[in-house]
Amino acid sequence: MMAAGLVIFAEYWLMIGGVVALLFLTIGIDRIDEDARGAYIFRPLLVPGVLLIWPLVLWRWYALETGRADETKRYKAVRGAHGLIAVGMALSIAIIIAFGLGIKQTWPDHIAPERLSEAGQ
Amino acid sequence: MADKKDKPFFVGYLTAPDGLRSFLIGIGIGLVLLMAGVGLGIGATQDDPGNGAFRGDYGRQTVTGVMELTPYPVVRVTQGSEHVPEGRTLMLSAGGKQSLMNRVRDLDGQLVTVSGTILDRGELDMLQVRGGQNGIAPAEGDAPEMEREELGRWRIAGEICDGKCLAGAMRPGVGIAHKACANLCLIGDIPPVFVSTQPVEGSEFLLVVGPDGTIFPKSAYDLVAAYISVEGKVVRHGDLLVFHLEPDTAELVQ
Repeated sequence: MMAAGLVIFAEYWLMIGGVVALLFLTIGIDRIDEDARGAYIFRPLLVPGVLLIWPLVLWRWYALETGRADETKRYKAVRGAHGLIAVGMALSIAIIIAFGLGIKQTWPDHIAPERLSEAGQ
Repeated sequence: MADKKDKPFFVGYLTAPDGLRSFLIGIGIGLVLLMAGVGLGIGATQDDPGNGAFRGDYGRQTVTGVMELTPYPVVRVTQGSEHVPEGRTLMLSAGGKQSLMNRVRDLDGQLVTVSGTILDRGELDMLQVRGGQNGIAPAEGDAPEMEREELGRWRIAGEICDGKCLAGAMRPGVGIAHKACANLCLIGDIPPVFVSTQPVEGSEFLLVVGPDGTIFPKSAYDLVAAYISVEGKVVRHGDLLVFHLEPDTAELVQ
């Protein structure tokens, strides 16, 4: 059921993203970005991005609307975490490859088709 | 501090310092050899993807036949073309990962003319139909009765793929990317195909439908692109076998 669950999750995620995109690109963007006011042609280009990262869009919209956004944090260097993340990613790639090889199946050509009931039944 | 100052320091737009030159040459050559080795290793260990491909060299193929919704649309060809013989049962798809379901809903059992590009892998083929009325349209005349033959229940082993990539739209692979690609096709209602380890009534490829003749159930997406053994009813539609897969009976095989 994992694959079916992922599909259902993706469907709901994108549906919510569609609603957020509609609201943000028609109402929200004018309220938080004065440079966007009166400009419309670029807005459809943002739809695919909003579909994917709609929680971040909602959070930024909320933060900017309520004045809670600390703009100085946007310019804070994040290099401090890069070393750890790089090692983590390298390790995860090795683990994923090892796991993939560990569960790799072999083509079961030794199993012949088996008729369980006669034709017409 | 004096030691640090004397250490050679690489600056991309300046000549490499003496102390680093041999190191940089070694790294450069090593990287080229490593990447060539990795490329060779990956290429040499892949399974042969076979000769499945879009047959653009055939040109556009237009055939007439009876539309059958299995529920996946197939055409039982009554009037063939240069590369599609009469009597063939052709699976159909639209462009990309899209099916024809919405375009053929009202055409079940009717005589139709379909036109498009053939995808071909040996005995498995599919027609990617053109857009609009140029791709599919009702044909004049009465549709002949098409027979189906019940071949009983079977347990067969093999792999569920999507019929389009397998027939030649892509090179079938293995693993998670293969599974994701195949499932995306099935979400788009591209006809799934079971690749049997050994022929069933003469055919290695069987069109897969749900247990009650429904479309492939979402609950069976986990089974796609894995080597499984599974039971189901087999029905012959012309030269195409349709496998009514029962997901509850599936077992992974090693």
